[in-house]
This record gives sequence, structure tokens and C-alpha cells, in this order.
Amino acid sequence: MSDSHWIPHRCSRREWLARAGGGFGLLALTDLLAGASPDPVSGVTAQPTRPIVGSLPHYVARAKRVIFLYMPGGPSHVDLFDPKPRLLQDNGKPFPLEKPKLERTRTGNLLASPWKFSQHGQSGTAVSELLPCTAACIDDICVIRSMVADNINHSGAALQMCTGEQAFSRPSMGSWLTYGLGTENQDLPGFVVVSPAAVFQGAQLWASSFLPSSYQGTLIRDLSHPIANLHDPSGNLARQRTKLDTLRQLNDLHKRSRVIDSELEARISSFELAFRMQQEAPEAFDLSRETKATHRLYGTDHPTTELFGRQCLLARRLAERGVRFIQLFDAPKNNVWDQHSGLREELPKRCAAVDQPIAALLVDLKARGLLEDTLVLWGGEFGRTPTAEGTNGREHHPFGFTMWMAGGGIRGGHVHGATDEFGWYASQDIVHVHDLHATILHLMGLDHTRLTYHFAGRDYRLTDVYGNVVHGLLA
Amino acid sequence: MKKFACIGLALALLGPEARTAEAPFVQTAKTWWAFQPLKCPPAPGLSAGVPIDVLLDEKIAAAGLKKAPPADRTTLLRRATFDLTGLPPTPDEVRSFLGDVAPDAFARVVDRLLASPSYGQRWARHWLDVVRYADYHDADPKARAASCEPLEAWRYRDWVVDSLNRDLPFDQFLAHQIAGDLLTNYTNETSDPTGLIATGFLLNGTWDRGDADKEKLVSDMVDDQIETVGKTFLGLTLGCARCHDHKFDPISNHDYYALAGIFYSSHFMENLGTKGGEITLKRVPLVSRSVAALRDGLVLQLESIKTKLAALDKQSPRVAADHPERRMLERDRDALQADLPPPYPAVLTVQEGGMPGGLFPNFQDVPVHIRGSYTRLGPVIPRRMPAFFAGNSQPPITQGSGRRELAAWIASKTNPLTARVIVNRVWQWHFGEGLVRTPSNFGLTSTPPSHPALLDGLAAHLIEQGWSLKELHRRIMLSAAYQRSSAVPRDQTAQDPENRWLARFSARRLEAEAFRDAMLFVGGRLDVALGGPAGADVGTNRRSLYVQTARWDRSNFATLFDAANPDASVEKRTISIVAPQALFMINHDFMQTQASHFAQRLLRNTSGDAAARIEWAYRWLFGRPAQPEEIQIAQHLLAQSGGSEIESAWRDFAHVLLCSNEFIYVD
Repeated sequence: MSDSHWIPHRCSRREWLARAGGGFGLLALTDLLAGASPDPVSGVTAQPTRPIVGSLPHYVARAKRVIFLYMPGGPSHVDLFDPKPRLLQDNGKPFPLEKPKLERTRTGNLLASPWKFSQHGQSGTAVSELLPCTAACIDDICVIRSMVADNINHSGAALQMCTGEQAFSRPSMGSWLTYGLGTENQDLPGFVVVSPAAVFQGAQLWASSFLPSSYQGTLIRDLSHPIANLHDPSGNLARQRTKLDTLRQLNDLHKRSRVIDSELEARISSFELAFRMQQEAPEAFDLSRETKATHRLYGTDHPTTELFGRQCLLARRLAERGVRFIQLFDAPKNNVWDQHSGLREELPKRCAAVDQPIAALLVDLKARGLLEDTLVLWGGEFGRTPTAEGTNGREHHPFGFTMWMAGGGIRGGHVHGATDEFGWYASQDIVHVHDLHATILHLMGLDHTRLTYHFAGRDYRLTDVYGNVVHGLLA
Repeated sequence: MKKFACIGLALALLGPEARTAEAPFVQTAKTWWAFQPLKCPPAPGLSAGVPIDVLLDEKIAAAGLKKAPPADRTTLLRRATFDLTGLPPTPDEVRSFLGDVAPDAFARVVDRLLASPSYGQRWARHWLDVVRYADYHDADPKARAASCEPLEAWRYRDWVVDSLNRDLPFDQFLAHQIAGDLLTNYTNETSDPTGLIATGFLLNGTWDRGDADKEKLVSDMVDDQIETVGKTFLGLTLGCARCHDHKFDPISNHDYYALAGIFYSSHFMENLGTKGGEITLKRVPLVSRSVAALRDGLVLQLESIKTKLAALDKQSPRVAADHPERRMLERDRDALQADLPPPYPAVLTVQEGGMPGGLFPNFQDVPVHIRGSYTRLGPVIPRRMPAFFAGNSQPPITQGSGRRELAAWIASKTNPLTARVIVNRVWQWHFGEGLVRTPSNFGLTSTPPSHPALLDGLAAHLIEQGWSLKELHRRIMLSAAYQRSSAVPRDQTAQDPENRWLARFSARRLEAEAFRDAMLFVGGRLDVALGGPAGADVGTNRRSLYVQTARWDRSNFATLFDAANPDASVEKRTISIVAPQALFMINHDFMQTQASHFAQRLLRNTSGDAAARIEWAYRWLFGRPAQPEEIQIAQHLLAQSGGSEIESAWRDFAHVLLCSNEFIYVD
């Protein structure tokens, strides 16, 4: 991580990144300030409009951005992507193997999936009848049937999936990526989170933790008013610019003698980001600019699919505009994929809500040539037990579950790994959450062992001291 | 399923072997620091002098750190004033403190601030974070249903403010929240209702209001009560034992149901009613029974008329508008509506005796709910306190619910957790971090205190001083540690980035409420009146404490600036810095208005000299004079905004200063 030659020499790479809040480049930022005047802190006049993209990648990136379709609660792998004939055969019988010590509550006997699986696409990958649209895209998808995670509870497991750590505050995946790569769009946040309702652990899932706070995800709750206060009531942007220039000068004076400069600087750059969002965001977030056909494709015209359809359509618009990391939570309310009970009724509802929008996103990205450098990731914090909780539910299950990836650099139409014949333990080509993270960074051109941040006397990584790139997932 | 959150954390820490049969932690628990009696006296001379600094200095020296110099007096005054009142000091207060050379000048400032009613407003907010307080579930008054809404919750909030201002001893403060209805004698509208009001603490939780399964709803409410009592007062995650023995702390599943019996023997919903029907939280009228009954009767009549009218509407063919029956009903309705007295005041409260119409309608012990479900019941567990802490030979609870006994046990001087937990919270609210950094969990999965002797010393001191929180504030704020500068050389912060050893003070961003109040204050608009229902509008001039917190509304000003989420007990707020905050700052009408008010006030109070006006602004906003460079920058802005003769130029100037880091950060 040596300093690039064009970074002002009085400003270390780390400081420079800290200033590049939300993936915002210092260069472009000072450029906006009247006449590229000398930066008041470093005293250096920045060169105009150098792209900050490409400053870091350790090697050639296969993907430029990530869309993470997160299903909070833990979708059931054995009902969606991991068919188990043995469950049908032994339905209602006890699970014959030893259950893990870590089990959360004692579940009952084996529970066959109430849904049929059939093979799809040229690859012939089996997908549940609950996901017909996703099934139609299966040749673009790499299904990972051998995921494992370490935590049996939502909070810890969701934290691990999003940050790599189960208990403590750590930077989220989106924060690491915007920290490492910046953004391709200077006028929008580099990391956008769309979560209509609050989810467990909330903002910790997109927190920047000890990374400069400007790398945390910008949360959007309400899609009809994605960003509040976007318009200067006076309508006089030149005057606002003058005020913001003054603010910047005063804030720089204030910062000189203070030690929490990364937090102060983050706040300074938040104003610059806000200024630009006023110009760029309304267009980016305006779904009404899409054609009727596109809306129909995403299902925004139907109550079942409307909400997630709008989320997916927004994701595509943001991806087009160079937002680095887009994380969608399927969250009309908290934890909707958590079927401890009501499996037969609730799971089909969830699938109906997301299936068409997700397929639409894949198809649309592909049609626009975006899928080849956009990495799409689907999953929750864990899967669900092949055994029954009550008569109509399944418990949390991190010991073997399914996620899938599609797009940039991914081997479509491939099934990676497997669970045992009951769908309990991942048994073949196991992919731990850390491995998944390492692979995502790899596809983005980053070596997970070298993307580090020095904090409290230690170099931290997204993957801590773990993680291996899973080459079997790669095209 | 957040009940189980703690298990995952603990598993992560201890590994899978922790699940094996005989929990190894029981041995550990017997020697766990937080479960031991206070070490008293923990350090020689603790109750006599101020050993806070002695105990801190040892560790600072051991860490090889250099102490920061004392903060300058302006900084100290701004810090202390925001800290105790949530408001900035006035220029007069700064001047008077700078001119006061007596050695006890700062002590007198602390006394003055503690005596201000604003103190209670400020510190109540800290407490409300921990007790998951909300004014309402639904932000929209029209949509607000009576069922399960914590109506008139503000009475509890006002009681907290008043108790803090009166320095109600903390042991009584906590006992009232658990059993206030039993500690004061409320008989009629002329007697003191504060005991009833205090128990509102137990009723302001989160649960599904529309839960068709009433028994489950009750069990969830009891769970919320056990969980909140445990976290708030004891630093114990008692809720973890709902379905099984606590995995890491010595709290058994039986302990949980022994406590649950206490809450099941209490009465906190009017009655369970029918499956699927609405339920109402228990409220006691603050008017005489006859007055209440009169109005209740009228309301019932009115409802029945409305039902009849609605039935007419549904008839087919439609009943004509001038049909005599309809006319008569409408006449009656209008007459009743005109005569209906306004709603009488009532207090959300817990009473004794179980839930009428439910599984447990009396004073009674309850059975273990297997895996937390009332549908599978195990052995009946006599009501008692958790055995590990209170012993195996407890006197049986024979009278009443047992809340009185529970309150007494928690408030006891010998309970090892209570004093430590509150002292640690107060420390955190002063310094930004507690001595124990998991303030609502002192169990085996928590990190032990950075300064155990100091924590014990302060806890013992609190008890000695009759549980006076104001005395505790004095003790803490008069330490050298509290008065240190936050500015130190950069290489020193690198040695202790989290400032665990407190060789310096930690600068902090103002909380949402203090930030908003400060803007109103400098604009001369802040209404510091105490009490009453919360308003919905952020634009009101009332203190932010009185702007409503609604559980289902997360898109308001306070949430944007990281206020506590009232869905669960919040031990510490997070700090986010995001562009939407900046958008609010530059574009929201509220900001424009405050800038305007400040500019008008500035022009009214100062002469024509621009430099003097800039100076005046700096003294109000930052408590200090402006530097020449800053005056220059300001004058440049004024010139660009049309010149210093124009009010709107001053508005721009004020707006910029309100947005500045110096205004929102306290050194």
C-alpha cells in the first residue's frame, strides 16, 4: 500500500483516504472549491479531476461494484436451493447424526420440504418451485451450497456476514470496499443501503467502525423520499457554495488543534457530499424516469413485488451511476425470513416478493452490459434446520446453507459445494463467510490480506486472520 | 428472536464447549468481580478525599502516558454546562467564571448547574435511553390507537425529570419504578400519584400490539419487564433465561420463572378481552371515580350510537339520510359529543393481582414455560429472587405480587450490582465511555472494568452519600481527570486511541437533543418550561425532551442525529456522520429559521460595527472571542452576501456558524 505518486506528499495515504469521505475524492473536492486553491491543510494545490478509481486495486478487477441482496432472518436452503431427497424419504424421522453442540434450541424430527424442486437452464441446476424467475436465470448464477457461519443468532450472524466479526464493532464489507476503491461517482455516496424497516443490529451492519466514518453506508428507508432535505429552499446554489466555502475554512481552522480530526474531517466532507447530492441524487433516485415496461419487469406495478421491485430497480440505477456497494435488505419489517413457525405460509410470501424483482435485476443488468462487471450476491445470515421446529418451522442453521453469486467474474450455471444428505452439515468444498469475503474482495481486485487499516496498534482486515479465495466460484 | 442475542456473543467468546452439560461458568461466577461484595473501603481514604485521580494516575503512569494539561476555563465551562444542562453557557456566565479566581469557583459552577431545572431535563434523557422510553408507538396522532399505546407516558418522563432535580436517592428512584404503587398510598385524586406514575417504567416496552394470541402477548410483556429490569438496574441479561438456563451467567430457567411469577402477579392490562380484540394498558384515573365513571359511561353510549349508525350505512338498500331513525341517532350522537367532558387525566401504571381473564389472574407462582411458550408448562416455581445472588433460603413471598420484595432486593446496599451499574452509567455520561464498557451487561461475557478500585470506590461513596446522584456528579466533575484538556500531541493519542486510561478528555459531538436545544437557545427562542405532553413538531421552541419519540417513526430529526432507538434499552448511543445530516443542516427549514433568529438577535443587540457583531456571535456560539483570521473570513462572507448592512448577510453568517464543527463538538 505505497502512496501513489500523485497523492500530495504531505498527506499520507491513510489521511488522504480519510479525507476522501464516502468515497469522495479530495482532488475532485478541492477542484470544486473556487479555482483549485491550495488545500488549506496540506498547503498543496491539487491537480484537477484525476480519477481516484484504480488507485488501489492489487490486480485486475473482475467486478467494479457489488449488489448484495440480503434476506434478513435466514432463508431456508433446503426449501430453496438445496434439494434433499433423503428428507422426503425420512420425513418425520429423527435426525440420525449427532447434532452440533452449538444448536440453539432442540429441534424435532426431519422435515421434508413441502415444495418441489426441478432442474433449470442448460446447467440443470435444481431450484425450488418457490423461485421460478430466479430459476430462469440459473445459468448466470453460481449456487454455493456449502456455506458455513459461526453464529446461531441473528445479531451475531448478521454482523459476521456483513462485517466478518460476530461480536464487536468492525467495518462492514461496503465500508472496506469504498475505503479501498473509492467511488466511480463523485456526487453520490459510494455505499448505499436500502432497508425499508429496521433490521437486527441496524446500523452496525453498514457501519464504518474504526474506518473514517464517511465510509459508512448511507441508509435509505423511504423509497418515495429517498433523501430528505435535498433542495435548498432559496434555490440559490451559488450562494450556498459561498457559505460552504466559508464553513470549510472555519472548520479547517478549528481542526488544526484537535485530535479527533478524522471525525471532524468526515463531517466536513459530509457537507461537500451533501452539496453534490443535491444536483445528482434527484435524477439518480427518480424511478419515474424508467419506462412502463421496466416497471413491469421489476414488478413495481404489483403489490406483492412492489417494494423489493423498487429496491432492485433503484439498485440498477445506482449501479449504472457508479455506486460501489449497494446493499438491499428485504425488510418490509424486521426479520421476515425467520420462519420458526408458519414456514408453509410465510416462505412462499417472501419468495413471491423477491423472486421476480431479483430476476429482473439480473436480466436488466445483463441487457445493459452491466452484469459483467457487477457482482450480485444473494443470501441471509444463515440457513435453516432440515429438522422441524414445532410442526411448521425451522430453526437457525449456520452449519451448512446456501448463498448465490452472479455477474462479474462468477462462474454462472455452476453449483459449488454440497451439504450432507440431510442438508445439515456442509460436507464438500466448504465456504466459510471469511472465504466468501476474501473472494468478493478478490473479484474487486483486492487482496484481502493486503487491504488493511492500522488501528489501535494493529492492522485490521475484513477477513481478520482467516479467509481463502474460493477459485471454484470464479469464471 | 433477539432474546438470544446474548448467547451468540457468549458462544463466540467461549467457544462451543460452553454448551456442555455442567456449565463451567458457575465456578467462574463465584469469583466474578461484579458478583462480589463491594470492596469497602476499596482504597484508603476514599470516603474522605477525592481519590479518583490517585486511582487514575496509577494506570496512566503504568501505561507510560503523559497527562494532558487542564482545559482552559472557557472550554471547561462549556463542557460542564452542556454536560449537566444540555445547553451552552451564556457569555455572561463565561465572563463571570473567568473573573472568579477563588479556588472553589468551579465547584460553585457545578452547584449552580446542578440546581438548574435544566439538569433534570438533560439527565432524564440519558435515563430514558436506558429504559426504552417512547411517548408513543405511532407518530401520527390520528392513527394512534388506544390499545397498547403508552398514553400519557409523559407523566413518567416528567417524574424522572422531577426526581433527578430533587435528587431523589437512587435506591428510592429505582424502587419506585418497580413498585411505586406499593410505596406510596394512592387512594383518591387528592393523594400523591407519583408512585403510580413511576411504574410506567414497566409498561413502556415493545411488543406486538395486534397479537391475536393474548397469552403470548402477556408473556412477551413480562419478558420485556424482566429483561429491562435486569439490564437497567443490575447489568444482567435476565431475559436470556426465558427458554433455558442462561448460558453464561448464573441465572437458571427456574430463576427466570421465579421472577416472572412476580410480574404475572401484577396487573398491567385492563383485561385480556377476546382473542383478536383490542387490549388496553392499565391506567388509573387521576380524578374521582364518579367523574371517571360519568365520562366512561358517555363514551360507551357514544360508541354504541356510532355502531348503530355504521350498521345503518351498511344496510341495503341504503337508509335514506332523512330516515327518522337515522336522524334520531345523529341527534343523540351530536348531543352526546357536545356534552362529553374532555378526557380525564389518567396514569399508566401497574397494580397488584394478576391479569383478569388470563391464565394467571391472581397472586400466584407460575410454572416454567417450556421453551418460553405458555402452551407447554413445566413445574411451578415459587416467586423469589435469583438464587445465585439472593441465596437458597429466601423467605417466601406470601403477600402481594413480590414487586415490593424485588425492589428492596435490588435497592439493597448489599446488592453487589446495583450501585456499580449506576455509577458506571453516570461515569459514561460524563466521560463518553464507562469504566465498564458494556454498561448494561456486567455478566461473565462482559469486559471487566478498566479501574475496578475506582468503580467500587465510587459505588461505596454513592451508598455512603445516601444514594445521591448529585453528590456523585460533584465528586466526578471536581476530579482533575474531568477537567483535563482534550487536546494532546498526536503521538500520545496513538498510544491510547480509545482513551481508556483518561490521560486526556474525550471531545464529543453533541447529542441530537443538546444540539437542537443549543440552536434554539442562542437564537433566544428556547422554551425551557418543564413537563407536559410531547409535541410532534421539530419546529416547536420547546426543549427536545418534549418533542415526541414515536417507536414507528425513525425518520425524524432526533433519529437522524443518532438519538436512542426506543425499541430496546440503549446503553450507549452510536455516532454516525452522514450526508443526510449535512443536507438537513444546509436545507431544512428549521436551520434557516434558527439562523434567522440568531441574526435578528445579533442585530438587535449589537452596534453597527461588523467586527463587534462577529465577536458577539462567537461569544454566544462558542463562548470565546473571535480570532483576527476568523473575523476576516466572516467579513469576506458578509461582503459576498451583500454587505454587513443587510440582515440576510448576517443570516448566512449565522447559518455557517451553526453548521460549524465547533458548534456541535464539545472539547
